[in-house]
Amino acid sequence: MFRYLLLFVSLSAMALGQTNPRTSPEDVAAGAKTFRSHCATCHGIRGEGGVGPALAAGRFFHGSSDDALLKNISDGIPGTEMAGLFYSPDRVWQIIAYIRSLNPSSRSDVPGDVGNGRSLFTSKGCMRCHRVQGEGGRLGPDLTSIGKSRSPENLRDSIVNPNAVVQPRFWVVEAAGKDGTAYSGFLLNEDTYTVQILDFQERLRSLDKSGLSNYKVKKDSRMPSFGKTLTDAQITDLVAYLSSLKPKGDSE
Amino acid sequence: MKLRIVLLAGLAVLCIQAQVTSERLLNAPKDPGNWLTYSGSYQGWRYSPLDQVTRANAGKLKTKWVYQMSTTHTVETTPLVADGVMYVSQPPSDVIALDAETGREFWHYRRVLPSKVNVCCGQVNRGVALLGDRVFVGTVDAHLVSLDAKTGEVLWDVQVADYKTGHSITVAPLAVKDMIVCGISGGEYGIRGFLDAYDPKSGKRKWRFWTIPEPGQPGSETWKGDAWKTGGGPTWVTGSYDAAQNLIIWGTGNPSPDWNGDNRPGDNLYSDSAIALDADTGKLKWHFQFVPHDVHDWDAVQVPVLVDDEWQGKQRKLLYWAHRGAFYYVLDRETGKFLTGKAFAKQTWAKGLDANGKPIRLPNIDPSAEGTYVWPGVQGATNWYSPSYNPLTKFFYLAVWENRSVYRKGEQEYSPGNRFIGSVPLIDLPEEPGHGAIRALNPKTGEMIWNYPLHTKPWAGVLSTAGKLVFGGSDEGYFFSLDAETGKEVWRMNTGGAIRANPIAYMSQGKQLITVAAGSSIFTFELGK
Repeated sequence: MFRYLLLFVSLSAMALGQTNPRTSPEDVAAGAKTFRSHCATCHGIRGEGGVGPALAAGRFFHGSSDDALLKNISDGIPGTEMAGLFYSPDRVWQIIAYIRSLNPSSRSDVPGDVGNGRSLFTSKGCMRCHRVQGEGGRLGPDLTSIGKSRSPENLRDSIVNPNAVVQPRFWVVEAAGKDGTAYSGFLLNEDTYTVQILDFQERLRSLDKSGLSNYKVKKDSRMPSFGKTLTDAQITDLVAYLSSLKPKGDSE
Repeated sequence: MKLRIVLLAGLAVLCIQAQVTSERLLNAPKDPGNWLTYSGSYQGWRYSPLDQVTRANAGKLKTKWVYQMSTTHTVETTPLVADGVMYVSQPPSDVIALDAETGREFWHYRRVLPSKVNVCCGQVNRGVALLGDRVFVGTVDAHLVSLDAKTGEVLWDVQVADYKTGHSITVAPLAVKDMIVCGISGGEYGIRGFLDAYDPKSGKRKWRFWTIPEPGQPGSETWKGDAWKTGGGPTWVTGSYDAAQNLIIWGTGNPSPDWNGDNRPGDNLYSDSAIALDADTGKLKWHFQFVPHDVHDWDAVQVPVLVDDEWQGKQRKLLYWAHRGAFYYVLDRETGKFLTGKAFAKQTWAKGLDANGKPIRLPNIDPSAEGTYVWPGVQGATNWYSPSYNPLTKFFYLAVWENRSVYRKGEQEYSPGNRFIGSVPLIDLPEEPGHGAIRALNPKTGEMIWNYPLHTKPWAGVLSTAGKLVFGGSDEGYFFSLDAETGKEVWRMNTGGAIRANPIAYMSQGKQLITVAAGSSIFTFELGK
């Protein structure tokens, strides 16, 4: 009887949606340790992704609720390489606390004026290369939900020092064809024999590498630094605007 | 009446032929129409004596058939072909029998798995073994299963180890004499490794060799305290069989935990070693450890390549081995003695090898809290995917990685069934992904003969043939054929899926075919007109 009661209680808890009981800073720290030795091989040390999906962005393919995370981390996800853990729920809750702490969109303390940041984004030429909700250029990352995946500090760094981190997606290929035609564009994909680029006229091109000379891949950012073009206060407003860019209906 | 006798006799011949006897396995090199065992022969050569496809006509290779699997896991299977039937494993642990001529399915064994199976690097399977009229497969929940080769029905199913303590089987078993030899995975979960032999009829275990000795056994002096209990040394890639010496030669994997050796001072025998076991008893005849006290996860899980050839004026039983730590070795197969060695890819961890083949370690190469950059990377300069030896060119072929990793040391804490690795290495540096190659080596010296560069790092083995071709594949999805003497590309085809498996060759209806798994499909190629 007692067993049935327990089963009922645990089922009810699942149905009602459990929330994480272990969210203190100590839990986050303990979760970070477990994450490092059990999760980071696939998901990256800071949840940035690798063989497995990025977790820091707070988007989860198999359910984002605390319940779903507890189940998926404890039991693994069938049909994927995600294994389960043989640990107590308490220890798994700590991992969840750590994963949640990685997500910058949980921040509510971003200073600055969002409206002014939006105006700067339009007036200072950001949209020539960046796109937000289908408007703008394609020669830089689409920023439609950048506030979900990047912290304000990280966004500020990227504005002041674009070369600090350049995603391989924005590395630039430069080469010449046999007839002397110059090719340059973002490196979308490459194999031993061919390369696929988005050129600066926004055309998708696939090139046979054996027909190219002076083949170079440049890893510098094409974006200039705005550290001197904008005042510190303007950068703060711009960061506030970018941090506000999140997927529609995102409640987390 | 007479006709009936003739018919009966004919049937009898067919039935006898349909049995994969241990004699047939011994004589596999004389039976190139079939591919009866993981490496094609007990010598571990992955060499096909078929020569219809040559350097002159390989440009006409085209797809004959494709079999699409229904799996989301990486397909690492080496198909086996016996008398017109191809046996492949579908990950995690299914087995499928196909018509080798058309790719049509005869039967499918579906393995029902428990919900929580932990395998370090994907729920994969590298293939099956054939003996008699049976198929043998290891499962990721650490069972060994015997199937009827005609129907796929389960004949027996035995637990090799407990999957809840991180044991799994991904290796293709090896049929030797009247035994099924099977290894174990779990070097990232603190298992104590072993190699087993089973009776093919009953599933009863005949012997077990523990790769990590317990206190009192020879080799136990290379461990301290209880570290041996969680010492690793898995056996997850199929070994070879030296019939003349009755020796099973097999590679062992990393000591556990992988990247933090603090609790296991000593050489940690028999991790990262070639071991030679008496086939009848499982007793150790000799061993050679490639990396004493490994802290980089450089498993010695390569296919041992057995060659009898002249060495310094005398005929000798040789063992060729390109190890994950970037050195190529020649060993004496009678004693395990080191004969020569040389780096085959960039490495920054050893000054070289001493007279006994031990690495002369450089300073500051161990994993550290802040991270240590070392070549080769965590996945080594080569790995589990098969090399090939061609008796016509007398070259040794292999897929190579040129890359480095950041080795980070972290805490270690053993708990059953969970990872026990002692840190997290950065396997791929996003800004420095490295590159790959297919290489031919002079197996007597380790010197490179030719290099076929690849933009990305390959996870596919190589096959060489009497047509003087080398077949290989890339993570980019290309399957290609190279001139075995020069490395010049003769043919390539984009399969559309990463190739993480070893190719084979066989004969169907008088024609030489080549098969490899790519993406989640099995591709078979034939010569076009």
